[in-house]
Amino acid sequence: MKKFLNKPETFVDDMIRGIMAAHPDKLTYVNDDLRCVVTAKVKKGKVGLATGGGSGHLPLFLGYVGDGILDGCSVGGVFQSPSAEQMLEVTKAIDSGAGVLYIYGNYGGDIMNFDMAAEMADMEDIRVEQVVAGEDVASSKKGEEHKRRGVAGIFFVYKVAGACAAAMKDLDEVKRVAMKACDNVRTMGVALSPCIVPEVGKPSFSIGEGEMEIGMGIHGEPGIERGPLKSADEVVKQMLDAILADLPYVKGDEVAVLVNGLGATPKEELYIMYRKVDEMLKEHGIKVFHVYVGEFATSMEMSGASITLLKLDDELKTYLSMPANTPFFEQVQL
Amino acid sequence: METLSKKDFQAIFSALKSMSESQKEYLIGLDSVMGDGDLGLTMAAVFKSASEFAAEYADDEIGSLVMKAGITMAKAAPSTMGTLMATGFMRAGKALKGKDTVNAADMADFWRAFTDGIAERGKSKVGEKTIIDALEPAARVLAEQASSGASLKDAMAAAKDAAFAGVEATKDMVAQHGRAAYYQEKSRTAQDPGATVGAMVIQVFADYVA
Repeated sequence: MKKFLNKPETFVDDMIRGIMAAHPDKLTYVNDDLRCVVTAKVKKGKVGLATGGGSGHLPLFLGYVGDGILDGCSVGGVFQSPSAEQMLEVTKAIDSGAGVLYIYGNYGGDIMNFDMAAEMADMEDIRVEQVVAGEDVASSKKGEEHKRRGVAGIFFVYKVAGACAAAMKDLDEVKRVAMKACDNVRTMGVALSPCIVPEVGKPSFSIGEGEMEIGMGIHGEPGIERGPLKSADEVVKQMLDAILADLPYVKGDEVAVLVNGLGATPKEELYIMYRKVDEMLKEHGIKVFHVYVGEFATSMEMSGASITLLKLDDELKTYLSMPANTPFFEQVQL
Repeated sequence: METLSKKDFQAIFSALKSMSESQKEYLIGLDSVMGDGDLGLTMAAVFKSASEFAAEYADDEIGSLVMKAGITMAKAAPSTMGTLMATGFMRAGKALKGKDTVNAADMADFWRAFTDGIAERGKSKVGEKTIIDALEPAARVLAEQASSGASLKDAMAAAKDAAFAGVEATKDMVAQHGRAAYYQEKSRTAQDPGATVGAMVIQVFADYVA
């Protein structure tokens, strides 16, 4: 293991201390717990948006706390759910009377703890609604969408729901928009090398030199195909064919695209991949509204990438276009 | 003993703490077969916090004692079984809301709410090799006993037997939840640690009223 760290057991807290030191104008924490991250500026009367999840995925999850997007995030250990209590503390800090929406990925530990936090918030008379994002088409077949893991596409859910809340819509409306994004987003990933959990110290799985695994999850969950590494165009075609067929995305649709690096894959390669995405979408008669290329949901030093499409209508376009500003994500009005 | 007061519940939480300490190594061993081995630690942390909370509880009302003990557990041990156990007590506490005494019928309500809460939160049902396989038969027997007018002592004794029979039954089930599920058919012959804990908790109640 070759990492910049002090002690494996302080990995998460040292990371958060660094983030807090760098961005004191934007982020703070509550309950004397570094892992209860909230925006430095809670807006009165706005629906609060909270997320949470394990560490090791920056900018997920806390990186989307800021203006025009999320208000709070509970932070777990590497690949571990935060506790219900941490979620509850974040909830209390960001509720300003309009209720709180939880948006998080479809993982057992997170679901159980967010459910628990919602029940405890209810006892404190805070109204909480939940939206669980799961859009990895490789993780479960069509017809069993509810079993799908949440990966990079959750960024789009945060973005549109965050903008909707910033427009001072009520909790039911923000939830509806978040669910609409969930219904219209699909992702597929590919991994070229594993990642190392600091407290474990070695990779928990291996991918051979010259091999790739299509559909691998962001914690190394098994994908759908392990085989020799193919050309960028062939890899993209395999991934995008599966995405397009799943929703399906068809001629005349308009989409936003996210090409996401998993941590160790440079932007050069991500743009080589996007070149093929663009070509294929043109062939299919699918119009591209906006493209995001970069790291939005990672798995530490894993090399690999994911491709996400969000099918847009006028409402989603409006919310996607609105500005947002966090330490990890800045967007001017599109 | 036909009804339990707040003092009895304080004593029960204390007994749960003692049980979790004395069974810690056994549960760690059981959970290490196919889980991550932390069950013994989780239960010790959960019942230590609940027992400390209960000892300080000033009111006479049992419902909020039990419910708040559950919240305390959730904070003490945010692992899967910690959250499930906490949920059980939170829901059971809600079922006893407003009660200063608890009889056999109330106890049946307690375990029904406890069981349903865990089943809902863990998204599990009977036959999936979980704590539900101990709790559900116990809750069912308890309800039957209570409605036929059995004493608290007899009802809880029957519930305890049903719970341990449920634990035995997990030795012929394939795990559907948690790490053990990865083992699929290989998980069949193992005794489920979660069900074991469930039965042990019921036993503490049964032994107290015996």
